[in-house]
Parts: sequence; C-alpha cells; structure tokens
Amino acid sequence: MVQRFQLFLRGLATNWTGTTGVVLTTSAFLLFVFMELLRISGIITNSYVGLLTYMILPLLFLVGLVLIPIGWRKFRRVSGKSLDEMLHDRFPDNMVRSRGLGSNLIGLIAVLTVVNVMFFGLGGARMLHFMDGPEFCGTACHKVMNPEWVAYQNSPHAHVRCIDCHVGEGAGALIDAKLNGLWQIVSATFDLYERPIPTPVHNLRPARETCEKCHWPDKFYGERIKRMTRFDFDETSAPRYTTLALKVGSGTGAESGTIHWHIAATNEVRYQAIDEKRLTMAWVEVRKGDEFHRYVNVKLAANALADTTRSESWPAPRSVDCVDCHNRATHIYQESEPAVDAVLAAGRIDRQLPYAKKVALGALLGAYADKDAALIGIDNEVRGYYQREQPQTFVTHGRQLDVMVTELQAIYARNIHPTMNIGWNSYASHIGHRHQAGCFRCHNQNLVDERGQTIPYDCTLCHSILAYDSATPFQFLTQPDEQDPDRKMHLYLQSEFLESVP
Amino acid sequence: MKRVIIACAIVTLLVTGMAVAADETVAGKCMTCHKEKSPGLYNQWYASAHARHGVTCYDCHQAAKGEIDAYDHEGASIATLVTPRDCGRCHEKETREVESSHHATAALILESKDAYLAHAGGGYPAVVMGCESCHGGKVEIDPNSPNKLSLTSWPNSGIGRLNPDGSKGACSACHTRHAFAKAQARRPEACSKCHLGPDHPQKEIYEESKHGNAFYTHVDQMNLAADRWIVGTDYFEAPTCATCHLSATANQPVTHDVGNRLSWNLRAPVSKRMADWAQKRKHMQDVCVNCHGQRFVDGHYYQLDAFVNLYNEKFAKPATQIIGLIKEKGLLEQPAAFANDIEWEYWELWHHEGRRARHGAAMMGPDYTWWHGIYDMTHNFYFKFLPAARAFGDPGVDALIDEVMQDPMHTWFNRPTADIKADIRSGKLPEVYQHLFTQK
Repeated sequence: MVQRFQLFLRGLATNWTGTTGVVLTTSAFLLFVFMELLRISGIITNSYVGLLTYMILPLLFLVGLVLIPIGWRKFRRVSGKSLDEMLHDRFPDNMVRSRGLGSNLIGLIAVLTVVNVMFFGLGGARMLHFMDGPEFCGTACHKVMNPEWVAYQNSPHAHVRCIDCHVGEGAGALIDAKLNGLWQIVSATFDLYERPIPTPVHNLRPARETCEKCHWPDKFYGERIKRMTRFDFDETSAPRYTTLALKVGSGTGAESGTIHWHIAATNEVRYQAIDEKRLTMAWVEVRKGDEFHRYVNVKLAANALADTTRSESWPAPRSVDCVDCHNRATHIYQESEPAVDAVLAAGRIDRQLPYAKKVALGALLGAYADKDAALIGIDNEVRGYYQREQPQTFVTHGRQLDVMVTELQAIYARNIHPTMNIGWNSYASHIGHRHQAGCFRCHNQNLVDERGQTIPYDCTLCHSILAYDSATPFQFLTQPDEQDPDRKMHLYLQSEFLESVP
Repeated sequence: MKRVIIACAIVTLLVTGMAVAADETVAGKCMTCHKEKSPGLYNQWYASAHARHGVTCYDCHQAAKGEIDAYDHEGASIATLVTPRDCGRCHEKETREVESSHHATAALILESKDAYLAHAGGGYPAVVMGCESCHGGKVEIDPNSPNKLSLTSWPNSGIGRLNPDGSKGACSACHTRHAFAKAQARRPEACSKCHLGPDHPQKEIYEESKHGNAFYTHVDQMNLAADRWIVGTDYFEAPTCATCHLSATANQPVTHDVGNRLSWNLRAPVSKRMADWAQKRKHMQDVCVNCHGQRFVDGHYYQLDAFVNLYNEKFAKPATQIIGLIKEKGLLEQPAAFANDIEWEYWELWHHEGRRARHGAAMMGPDYTWWHGIYDMTHNFYFKFLPAARAFGDPGVDALIDEVMQDPMHTWFNRPTADIKADIRSGKLPEVYQHLFTQK
C-alpha cells in the first residue's frame, strides 16, 4: 500500500514543478497532522504556533496542489505525448489498467480528493477559528499590533475576544473584516501605516451591537464610590485621597439625571466635532420629543474660525454611544503618575524607600532612546539615586529596590512603545477629566443655546466629592474646622452627597 | 407684646439663617469647581484675609438678577466684574475716598490729548491695551458673551475704569486679586504698574532715591503684612509710595484719596498749586517728620517750590506762549494736532522731560531732576523747539521769541563763556534765579 502510494507520488512528480508541488503538499499535510497531534496531546501550548499550523501549512498545501497539474501541462507540452501515453509512461501498468469502477489510479485520486476536501474543510475551519482568536489579531502583525495587544492583555476585557467588538456577528461583518484585513496586510507589508495608529477607529462596530451584549443600559444603576490615591513627592510619599461618588445611574426614571442618561434608550445626544479626534465640538444637540435642542460653540463662532453648522473638513456628526466616553475601555494606556500611584497603593513599591514616588516617577519619565535603553535607564536611575543619596537604604533595602525596578520596567513596557511612537499620553482617555478634556469636550462654557444657557458643567453634576486631595479618604463627611477657609465648601459637599440619593 | 417680639425675633433669625445657608451653598459650590479649575486663583484667596474672615467668591461676585452684567452661572446669578460698589458693601469708607479721588477720574482722560495721540497716531488696540489698562476703559456689555462683558473692553483693571453699574474705578488696580494682600498694596510695585516710564517715572525716581534705597535694603523688617501699619510706630526703616501718599501716621488715618497730601500739580504743562494746597502739604509733612526734622522738611519744600517755579518761568510758560501764538496765527502746516513736528517738541518738553524733572525733584531723585529732566528740556528748548518756531519765519513769533530771550535766565545764550563762568563764580548768575525761591 505504502509502496503503491510512493509509486503514485513518483508518477505525479513529472518535472521540477511537479516535484515541488508533491513535496509541498505532502510535507504540509504531514506537518499539519503532526502539529495537531502535538497540540491535542498538550505538548505544544504556544499559541503563536497556530500561525504556522493554521495559516502557513494550509497555504503551502494549496500551493503544492496547484503546482502538480501545472507540472503535468508542462510535461505534456515538452514530451508532446497524449494523456494515455503519459499515464502509461508515468504509472505502472496495473495502476492504469481499466477495471470495473475505473482504474486503480482513478480510485486513488478519488480517495485523495476526498481526503483533500476533508483537509480543507477541517483546515479552513481551524484557520477561521484561529483567526477569530485574540492571539491571531494580536500577534500576526506583530510590530503594529503589539502595543494594543499588550494593553488588551492587561485590561478588564482580556477575556473578551477582539472580534467580539471589532468584527461583530454575521456573514456581512465577517466579509467586511476580511476585506479590511487584506488592506492591513498590504499596509503592513509595504509600511504604509501611521505611527502611532490614529484613533478613533472609524469602522468599529456600533456599540449598541457589541458593548450592550454584556452591558445592559437598563442595568446600570446607583452611584459608584471611586477612591483615587495620589502620593506626595515628599520623603514618606504620603497618600492623598480624592474620593468621588460617581452618579453613574441608568439614566432612566429616578436616575434620569445621571451619567448614563446620555445613552438611555429614550435619549439621543448628537454632536458635530471639528476634528477627527472628536475633542472640539461645533455643536451638540439633545433630542427633546421630535426636535433637537442645539448648543452652539460660541467661541468658534466668535473667532470666525468657521461656520458653526457645517464644514467640509469636519467628520460626520455622531450620536453619542458608549465609546464616545469609554474610548479606551480595553486598550488602556496608563498615565505615568497614576501608574506609579497604583503600584504604590498596591504596596508593590515599598513606601519605606525615602522619596519612593519622586524617584519612581523621575526614573519612568527619563528621556530614553528605545525600550532596551529605557529598561536599563530605569534601573540605573533608581539604584543610582539610592546609592548616591540614600546609601543606608541602598544597603538595607536591596530587595525592595529590585521590586521597584521591576515594577517600573513593567509599567514602561506596558505603556511605552517607541517603535510605534507611543509615548506617555499618546492615546488620551475621554473618561473623566484629569489631564484631558473628557467630559468637558461638551460640558463647557462655550456651548450655548439660543437662550444663552450653557450645557451644565459644574463638578457635582456627575459626581459628589467626598475628599479632594486630602489626607483622609472621606474628608467631607467629617465635621469641618470652624477656622477652615474651605468650611463653606466642606458643608456644601457634605450636604450635596447626603441629599443626592434619589 | 412680648410674644410679638419673640415671634419677630424668631422670624428674623430664620430669615437671616436661611440667607446665610443659601449663601453657603452657592459659595460652597463655586469653591468646589474653582478649587480644581482655578487653583492659582483659589489658593491666592485661600491664603488671604478674606478667606480667614469667611468672605468667599459669592460675597464679591454676587449680582441681583436684572443687573446689567449679571449672568446665570451654574444656578447662581453672578457678575465677573467686581466694582468699587461691590467692594464698598464692606469697605465703605475706602470706596467713598477712592470715588472722590483723582484716581477715579483717570478714565475721563479719553477726551484728552493722551488718548487723542494713541487713537489717531497709534490705533485702537493700542488704546485698549496701553492707555486704558492703566487709566481704565469703559467696560461694555455684550449680551452674547458668556459673562456678558465685551472682549474689546474686558479684561480691564485700570484705576479709573468706567463700570457697567455706573461706578468708577477698579480696586484691583492696586489690590491685586485674589490675594488682596496688604503687603502687596504697600510695596512700591503696586503703583509701578503704571507710574513709570518716560512721562512719569515715579518708580525709577523712587528706586534712585534714598527712600527706595532704604526700602530695598530693609524690606524684610518692615512689617508689610501687619494689620496696623503706622509709620514710625509699626515700621520706620523706609517709606514706600503708600507711606507718604496713603498710609496712616500717628495723627492721620489711612486714606484712599491719593491726592490728599499733594500740594503741587506736577502733571500739567504749567504747574499750579492744588486747591487747598497748604492743608495738603501739612498732611504730607506730617508723614515726613516721622523721620526728618521740621527744618529739613521745610528746606525740601523751599527748594522744590523754587524748582517748580524755575520749570514754569524759564521753560513752560514761554514755550506754551510761543506754541499758542503759532496755533493762533494758523502757521501749522497740517490741520491735525500732532501732525506737525513742533507739536511733538512742545509735548515732550512738558509731558516727558518736564514731568521727569518735576517728579524727580519732588521725590528727591537728582538724576531725574537734572539729566533726565532739566538737561533734556534745555537741549530741547534751545535746539529743537525754538529753531522749529523760528522756522515759520513769522515776524510776530520771532518778536515773541526775542522777548523771551531777553529774560536774564536766557541771556547767557549770546554771551562769551568766560563771562558766564565769571558770573557763576561771583554768584551773579545764581542771583538771577533767587526770586524763584521766594515766589509763591
């Protein structure tokens, strides 16, 4: 049997083209089977191998299959023989001898065709499945996608597949995604892409189709108390708390005035940004019944920068959905100071190290040429500082310094990607308003309606404040000092929170 | 009856209590956002006496609905502009004094030559950012502006600002917001935003003078932030602008009328004594004698009066008379004021050089009195102004100039140097000026 198969293969390999085809097809098939066996038996766990098994091997298999008939055509042209003569020439007589249901050769080809079809069915399915997996998206175009891949793996959505948000469901979405993917292959191959990749992504699936599969608008409710800890630059890296009660809510019923009012099913907010980044608004409008109530950017109008209703260079108007605020829900890049504060708060950098916050942030923000230089530079900065300025600590706290260096290097590696020109704050988050416009893109003094009313932008509209840069996390829930100049604010914030419960 | 009184008392307490509570809520809300959004401004206030005494945003920025510059801001009716009328709700006496002072009239200069020159020769933006930033502009209302103030006329904190509520002035011209620190207003820099430069270099003169010299040496010992700041008692090292012109002495309270102690008008083309000058001089001398003997003070004024007379008699009056005649005879080529060279010579003679000289003398800055002052005037008068006047070739003007040059103060011009030097040595030339020392 094996011998007969060998004879068959040898017969197929008419010339160099045919031989290459036979070798490619056969070895690709055998390797595929081998790799699958390794995977199933658990010997191979590296998902990166999928690129070989499910992308490259089926491709080679196909190329080989195509080469074989090309080889035959060439053979016929060169030899000038008829098909019958060629068959007798290439294969043993008993193989081509006519039988009841056709010759042995026909039978073998029939069997192999079934095997091929099965292989393509299985391989194709495995390939599509593999391409649906985050590993494919994150690693296939390694250089381009690595920053997002790293951010994604550290995100709250690390267990949600890329395609669940970026592709969506149905044949149409699949075809769109594959066509888009073809262009990405071209742009990655010929280096046509921008660094960093510009955002927002315009062909993202509508949030109503994707986010809301898991996050029901009607299920958002109540207030969320968020405590943010910032550490001082003093010797003890003393903690400072800002505590907010975010009025998240569902935007309906008793919670109609809350943050998720923007996306409640009964409401619609539209806006016209003047820039692709959607940072400056020409107008914002809110549906009231059948009509839209519009707020126009009077600053733009006053500076005569443009007609405030429409300009050719502006992106299309948008209706607010999840991603207008949650624009980095998954691909989260930390800012430098909050990143350091987070590891300090988690106790991963030891605050017993004098000036830990100051040294950590300084090391992180050094000007480094590339990632390797940065990792070495961070190490040198930290150890150099303690060796020079705090020699006692340097001796007694060696282990804590090791951890500090490792943590800072990890922060750097997670957030900074020099090859893609991604530095600190390359991708600003619109959530909140710490160091970027965020909420204030629309909630600001320049957006005014025809009666001269602005969109409200006061602090307690969206959150109560329980502490502001304070030594205690619930500063304003305590009684104020009679002598404190901030007393009135203290009392106001206290009652605002206590009375804000619907 | 007793019950009625008690009921009234309860109602009164409730109403005031509610008003206070409402104010606390509004102010508390202002502070909430501005602490983060305007941390510089906020912290200036936080460290201020206002903050210590519970005076918050809303106490100064509140505006009744219907006031012309009132606007609704996050549920509160406020005005951006804080006028002397607002400050006067607490600082009643100070506001009254400012409103009747020369400072409060500073914006009325719009009709004067200063504004003419900037409007015609310079241009409107220069008027707004130059002249009106010191003198004060008329703050216009723009109903479409978020804070109701027209951006062409605001920001403005000129000292004579014409406010939409009809009041004049801007306390923040001297009392820099939002710290309103006493020390800041007492330092010479408070005045030197405006009182400096080629036409009235009070800042430079002060720095040149022994007064400034002593101040910069002892600034740290001068109790500048103290509540009470009586010269000679709470400090004695040096006077600042405020010390002589405004601040308290043991005998007189602090005043916000900046002209209260000035006996001469040293701004005008020809200097005149102020109305009620003797009383005003007494006020000033009451400051001087804290550090100087009365004889010293008398000597200073004796010399100053002679100096101002010199300015008037030798240069200012003749030049004014000559330019007046030229204009009267219609000799100027261009019809517009300042479109003729000689007008600039005359202008700089009194407005720049002449003021430098007079202010230099009054504030004991010798270099400004002479080199930046009378020296420049001498050069201008003999070699720019008079030649420009003679160039008209008008017999009437020439006759007037000849008459001026007959004055013994001017006759040196046509005499040999050796003779003049001999007259100086013999005292004959100083004698020519002796009458200026006694002239009233």
